Amino acid sequence: MFCSTILTPHALIHLHLLPSLQAPAPRKILRTGAVNSASGSAYAEFGNTKVIVSVFGPRESKKAMMYSDVGRLNCNVSYTTFATPVRGQGSDSKEFSSILHKALEGAIILDSFPKTTVDVFALVLESGGSDLPVVISCASLALADAGIMMYDLVASVSVLKIGLGLPFGLGYAFQSLEARQFWIPEVSSVVHGVSGEEESYQDGSLMITCMHLLVMRITQLTITGEWSTPKIHEAMELCLDACSKLGKIMRLCLKETASASQE
Amino acid sequence: MSSTNTSSDLSSEMEVDAFRRLFPLRFHERHLLESIRPDARPLGKARDTSLALGAVASAHGSALAKIGCTTMLAAIKMEVMTPTTESPDEGCIVIDFHMPPICSPIVRPGRPAEAAPVVSKQLSDTILSSGMIDLKELSLVSGKAAWMAYLDIYCLDADGALFDAALLSAVAAFSHLEIPVVSLNDDGRVVVVSEEDAGKLEKEAVNKEKRKLKLSTISFSLTCILHKNYILADPTAEEESIMETLMTVVLDSSFQLVSLYKPGGPVLACTSAIQDCVALTRQRVKELQKILNEAISDMEVD
Repeated sequence: MFCSTILTPHALIHLHLLPSLQAPAPRKILRTGAVNSASGSAYAEFGNTKVIVSVFGPRESKKAMMYSDVGRLNCNVSYTTFATPVRGQGSDSKEFSSILHKALEGAIILDSFPKTTVDVFALVLESGGSDLPVVISCASLALADAGIMMYDLVASVSVLKIGLGLPFGLGYAFQSLEARQFWIPEVSSVVHGVSGEEESYQDGSLMITCMHLLVMRITQLTITGEWSTPKIHEAMELCLDACSKLGKIMRLCLKETASASQE
Repeated sequence: MSSTNTSSDLSSEMEVDAFRRLFPLRFHERHLLESIRPDARPLGKARDTSLALGAVASAHGSALAKIGCTTMLAAIKMEVMTPTTESPDEGCIVIDFHMPPICSPIVRPGRPAEAAPVVSKQLSDTILSSGMIDLKELSLVSGKAAWMAYLDIYCLDADGALFDAALLSAVAAFSHLEIPVVSLNDDGRVVVVSEEDAGKLEKEAVNKEKRKLKLSTISFSLTCILHKNYILADPTAEEESIMETLMTVVLDSSFQLVSLYKPGGPVLACTSAIQDCVALTRQRVKELQKILNEAISDMEVD
């Protein structure tokens, strides 16, 4: 039943932008069916970022909920205590839960399960940078595994900006490194080391979540920090390209699961 | 008897899945009569078990244990603390068992599972009282500094026999544990030495020799269901929900009894049933020792 897809080096985008960074590509794993007791589940590993998402339902909404003729989506993202280098509390991330909800609700056909709730629970086993895009992509794979009707899979990618927005003068020091201004955390995580550590040096970030079956449809776009218009264009193009590649890999993963279960 | 007959008549007409859902107890009892279980196991056999060490890079020791579908991830993080005045030569181990909402449809966010604190307490009792770890080994500088080991176990998939899988992952994480190198700085404080700095160290590392924790004995456990005269080893979540009397036996490496836990239930265990459970556990401990040793040697090859 298990299907594992290890992303090929072809999936690395715009590697030529990062000539000095062609270290061995970090391990990337996507597979469905990680948790047996859930309706659907998926495991994603991008570099050191490891995430499990379980989907339960559609099941009865909480008693206190009002009648609703469309389905409800309930999302929760939490961290293990050992996910971060310094031992944390393993608390829920309210912010990530709400972003995950917003990223997914546009893709799910909520009319298909009236009066009921679909629960999407994510657990970040290890945080190695770009956790949120990995959670979102993994969640959409888990929803597909659970057989929840969706318009399309959503893939999510983020890039960081390092070097712009520096005090004048310092910019020169970075000129030789201009190609590095986008550390393309490929399918967000880490092309070569945009790890949690590098995330703390960022000057800005851009995250795109999109469906791309026939035309690109963006369900969520988040930009933080100071960006110039051309840089935004450049970053968006990188992200959209990576999204469509990630989307293909996710489809492949589902196909492999389906063909494995037929055998 | 008549009701049994009706149901057996029904069972020949009904789909197997429907019968399983409507009459779960009878479904299982029909299997037990043939000395087999719905997943094709004999009564005394545990599910396939696998173990992977070093699953979490951000922890000092970690292990992923899988018994059938039940999956546990254990990770240990070490921190330096000041020991208490009562026991200046001893470190400390804090054990926590978590059931996040991903592991089972029963657990919802914000409402912790009832089973979690129970397993958590059982685990710390077993690990701390079995004498597996000598807390003096965790001491760095007497009265000044000692290790605090945080062991966190996450249930990733709950399908019965949670304690067995949790204990297996916990002991595996301890055998994978690599204690970080620390040294004393000029102020007499203990600092963790990063791997790059280890070569050009001015002061000698405090614990150069003590990178691995010595485990004097390793405990393993087996949970059995008692139902009528039957004993079912290593139950699944479905079996646990239908037949409610559980008995957990913990034995150490020399097969001495560490703990025996039978939390009530409708079946009263007689002496022979307890002896049978202990005998089954003895077999299981041998299997688990082999699995742990294989996992450790695989790790050393890599």
